[in-house]
Amino acid sequence: MSLADSVAAVAKRLSEVSQHSYQNPYTALDWPETVDPDVDWFSSPELLSLAGTPEWDAMPEAARKRLAFYEAVNFYSLNIHGEKSLMAGLAERLYRKEMIQVADYLHHFLDEENKHSIFFGGFCTRYARVYRSRQFSVNEEEVPRDVGDFLFFAKTMIFEEIVDHYNWLQARDERLHPVARYINRNHHVEEARHLIFGRQLVTELWRTQQWDAQTVDDVRGYLAAFITSSWREYYNPDVYADAGLTDPWEAAETAWQSPAQREHRRTVTAKCLGFLASEKILPEEPVDAF
Amino acid sequence: MLSEPDFRAELRAWVSEKSGVEVTDHSPIFADRTLRSVHIPELLLLMERLRGTPIDVEDLRPTDFRDIDTLATRFGVRS
Ligand SMILES: [Fe+2]
Ligand SMILES: [Fe+2]
Repeated sequence: MSLADSVAAVAKRLSEVSQHSYQNPYTALDWPETVDPDVDWFSSPELLSLAGTPEWDAMPEAARKRLAFYEAVNFYSLNIHGEKSLMAGLAERLYRKEMIQVADYLHHFLDEENKHSIFFGGFCTRYARVYRSRQFSVNEEEVPRDVGDFLFFAKTMIFEEIVDHYNWLQARDERLHPVARYINRNHHVEEARHLIFGRQLVTELWRTQQWDAQTVDDVRGYLAAFITSSWREYYNPDVYADAGLTDPWEAAETAWQSPAQREHRRTVTAKCLGFLASEKILPEEPVDAF
Repeated sequence: MLSEPDFRAELRAWVSEKSGVEVTDHSPIFADRTLRSVHIPELLLLMERLRGTPIDVEDLRPTDFRDIDTLATRFGVRS
């Protein structure tokens, strides 16, 4: 089976844009020697994981800024962990016969993700640290290759859609420190291309699949769990500990359950869920994400 | 501080809530696909919250996740 010409044509166009905007991540940004998390905003306050909770309302401005800094570090860290598995999956698919028509673009995709991680890692290691990931694999069951390909690109698209919402808003937020704005803007520009490719490819792989009902159910269950799991990582107790909260795990649980945050997750995920529903990939929204 | 029986009970309740399947301390929750790897971040967060300390993610082994009995022995709080 080969990919439809439409996917190949999109990949070709995107490759041309990627070539023209090819970037050197080591010279693109002037990193300040130090930053001051008590003075500058590093995340938009409305996007923080405690926004709209009683905890947040009780916080003085300096504490809010400190939380915004550690949440930026968490956001960059979860991008690093996401991009690590993304790069591995892209490398695995380079020059495979089903993907041969988009091999050129997979090279750009992989190259751009590596550069993103250089920016994210540059910030985390200069001014804080890379937060640990709680992702771990125990039963990577052997799934048929086409199921694995679909899941890989669908997960990538979901992850990138959520991230891009944050990037898009924070790139425009004039309150933010210039380095934070730059990292968000730069990521958004390249992610916009990845998302065009992702939506096209996910649609194509879904429309041409001929799986039995059990496989379709499994795929849907997996994607729903992936959405919940991806969102959970935005409520990281390690962040709350660094920001000085007394019980970081309870803070994470309370924030996760809070009505304002449920609404926030629903709003941010709406576009992506709308796409998944319109393609009949995920007809119902995940039960425990919101 | 939570006792070990309570730790186990919390894990059983969480697994049933996630999967809709009633499990015992010896159900092979990952091998029988009641849970999948995608659930592990949430499971680790739950266990960290119950014991009140972080779990070293650099030191995880697949066999730690065999069943609730193994999880409680490896990560649980002692009564
Ligand atoms: Fe990226
Ligand atoms: Fe990307």
